[in-house]
Amino acid sequence: MLSSINQENRVIPLKMLSEALSTTDQLVKGILPENGIPALRIGVEKVNSVLKRYIEKAREGLPIVGYHFAIPPEYISCFDCVPICLEGTGYYLATMLLHGVEKYYDMMGNWGHPFHTCTAQKGAMGMSLDNLFQFDGIIIPTAPCDNTCASYPFFKYSKKFPLIIADMPFRKDEKSYKYYAEQIKNCLFQLGKVIGQEPDFEKMKEHLELENQVQKIRMEIFELTKAIPSPISNIYNAVSAGTFILISGTPENLSFYNEMLKIVKKRYKSKKHHGGEEKIRSIWPYMVTYFDMSLCEWLDRELGMSILFDIFNYNFAEPINTKSDLDTMFYDMAKKGMGWPMVKQSTDFYYPFIEDCLSMAKEFKADCFIFTQSIGCKQFGSIPKILRDALMEELGIPMLLIEFDVGDARVTSLKTMKEKISMFAQTLL
Amino acid sequence: MNLDNDPFLKISNYIINPYIHKWQKNNKKNVGHYCTYIPEELLYAANLLPFRIRATGHEDTDLGDVYMVRFTCSFVRATLDMALRGIYDFLDGLFICNSCDHSRRMFELFDLKVFNREGFQKKVPRFYVSLPHVVTNEGFEWYKQEIKELKEEIENDYNINITNKNLLNSINIYNNNRSLLREIHKLRIQDAPKITGTEALQISMANSSVPKDIANQELERILNILKDSEGLKTDAKRVMLVGSEVDDINFTQLIENSGASIVSDFLCFGTRNFLDDVKLESGKNPLDQISKRLYYRMSCPRMMDDHQRRLDFIKDEVKRAKIDGIILQRINNCDLHGCDNMLFVHELKELDIPVFNIDREFFQADTTRLQTRIEAFIEMIT
Repeated sequence: MLSSINQENRVIPLKMLSEALSTTDQLVKGILPENGIPALRIGVEKVNSVLKRYIEKAREGLPIVGYHFAIPPEYISCFDCVPICLEGTGYYLATMLLHGVEKYYDMMGNWGHPFHTCTAQKGAMGMSLDNLFQFDGIIIPTAPCDNTCASYPFFKYSKKFPLIIADMPFRKDEKSYKYYAEQIKNCLFQLGKVIGQEPDFEKMKEHLELENQVQKIRMEIFELTKAIPSPISNIYNAVSAGTFILISGTPENLSFYNEMLKIVKKRYKSKKHHGGEEKIRSIWPYMVTYFDMSLCEWLDRELGMSILFDIFNYNFAEPINTKSDLDTMFYDMAKKGMGWPMVKQSTDFYYPFIEDCLSMAKEFKADCFIFTQSIGCKQFGSIPKILRDALMEELGIPMLLIEFDVGDARVTSLKTMKEKISMFAQTLL
Repeated sequence: MNLDNDPFLKISNYIINPYIHKWQKNNKKNVGHYCTYIPEELLYAANLLPFRIRATGHEDTDLGDVYMVRFTCSFVRATLDMALRGIYDFLDGLFICNSCDHSRRMFELFDLKVFNREGFQKKVPRFYVSLPHVVTNEGFEWYKQEIKELKEEIENDYNINITNKNLLNSINIYNNNRSLLREIHKLRIQDAPKITGTEALQISMANSSVPKDIANQELERILNILKDSEGLKTDAKRVMLVGSEVDDINFTQLIENSGASIVSDFLCFGTRNFLDDVKLESGKNPLDQISKRLYYRMSCPRMMDDHQRRLDFIKDEVKRAKIDGIILQRINNCDLHGCDNMLFVHELKELDIPVFNIDREFFQADTTRLQTRIEAFIEMIT
């Protein structure tokens, strides 16, 4: 039997993140006025509240379950465990720690992980190599990308963590949803065997229902973003992406979106822009930076450029039917999982993605698109030119392409990103 | 007699060859595909000539670069570049599966940019197969169904009927083909190899570019030549080449000119493609048997739960072919082979033979650096 401190030390990165969030929380509350950066203030508080609970559970000796970001975390709420999003933890640490998590990227690089692989996994892999994580099991889908399929076997073959794989078809139709529904169900039973628990689907329903409510609120916020000026702050996108993959299915997540909705409604009524004046409305069809989220504030305040949404904030699922039978519930869960941000676009052809971008550009009166092509995301590597052509030809909207790494400041620095966006903005004003 | 100027091997230097022209003259269709998970036996049974898309000898990616960012695979970019220049205009069909993130996007790019470009009139049907990423019974059922649906799509699009007789005939021809390749491979791994790694690659590429009945005749002819030959008298170190797609002999020549002999490989233009046959069992549906062989055969790293089997094959082959050293290579930005190779590097330490892990571009770039590193590795092998 491990001592409580040793139990807790199975999740050191979670402790690191919690401490970093506590510091940020103190700074935000101590220095900024009440209306300073509310999305950050509320988000940090809610995420940290959940993390502290998880650390406590780890201390009690509950199993540590790693999950890929494309498994909605409420799906593993049928177990009494400590759920840890590998990608979310790595990227949140990248943004919260002063020097990021490059140290862990380099550790994996030295171990042989190719430079062009995704840092979303590389961070957690490096931390595992350094024995900072001790997983009892890891559950993942086979989407959205090569990096997922390529990097995760490291945990199985090198770290000997049980790896449970839900195969996701790269198609969107009835037979695919049914196949994936079976995959999810089987994987949950497999995970249960690995950690010595029976899945409690009644308990899971409660968490699914919480997320059904969250989806409604997120959609309401999304609709309000059509207003000019945008009532959301840019950093809301980054924080929302974080809560989405880290604390989904918890009361704190619902509380975060409830509070955000109030703020957004207030701004909507008063027609106030978070940065002062909205000069440019941009859509980021892919991701914002995680190695330094200050870019969001800089865009709001210095350039007057709103990020209306990024990929984590324009994909919405139908509510999951928890009142019917289990098969129906798993079918809905499969649909939601296959419509998950990035998964939806990556496992489908480009045509619906382009259609979505065109219709959102019109509905939200966007002035431009900024496409951040991250080095790991090969599944999007042949879309930028097609999308740029479609936006220009059909709507006359320009698109800036920035090649970077979402979580590694050394590929394209913040300074370079700012320069590129500034120059692009000059052409718009 | 050797294979230096063998006409069959020369086919591998080019994309188009006389057999493709002859096929077209007989009003038959040529179809292209990127991946060995596409069931060639089915295509051949439909009287379609399957051509494995490659970029042999092509060093430009200028046009491809317009549509694919620099973080993508230079092999796929090169094939797109060729297609945009009209080199693949002879295709009457394109078969894509989700082998990797780079090649599967050719479904859209060929549609929007290649087959839709100004002046190109031909209607080229495209087909897509969704391939599971794991090797399981459920995955097999899925794949089997995909192949059944693919058969129906082929029949509809080309207005043909593919009978079981067609399929059985095709299976026999392909099984014979793989059997001949295995025979040649046996001559490659013996103590005095009768064929170089470069020649083996040329045979494999040529084999993927012509009708299989022709290929079988040629392979039999080559096999007879090799059986009668003396074998290579060489002190070259015996290496095994593992990793990303190789369809350019400049790369294998670089290795073999550095004092090594590539006596075996683990490549998709190599051993992985001919290790086993479609099992013909009475009462079994031939199409299902084709699917079964393809799905359960030796995988590439896109099958994420099958790494152990790949490792075991390499270990066995090291013994079988008396390998002195292993060269793991990946085309830059190939995450799948990059990570598989990463694991191999650590796991193969127990064999106590030198392992070399390199990255490269598809076309021969940075040759001197590569040569120096390869020579240094070969010198390391005692």
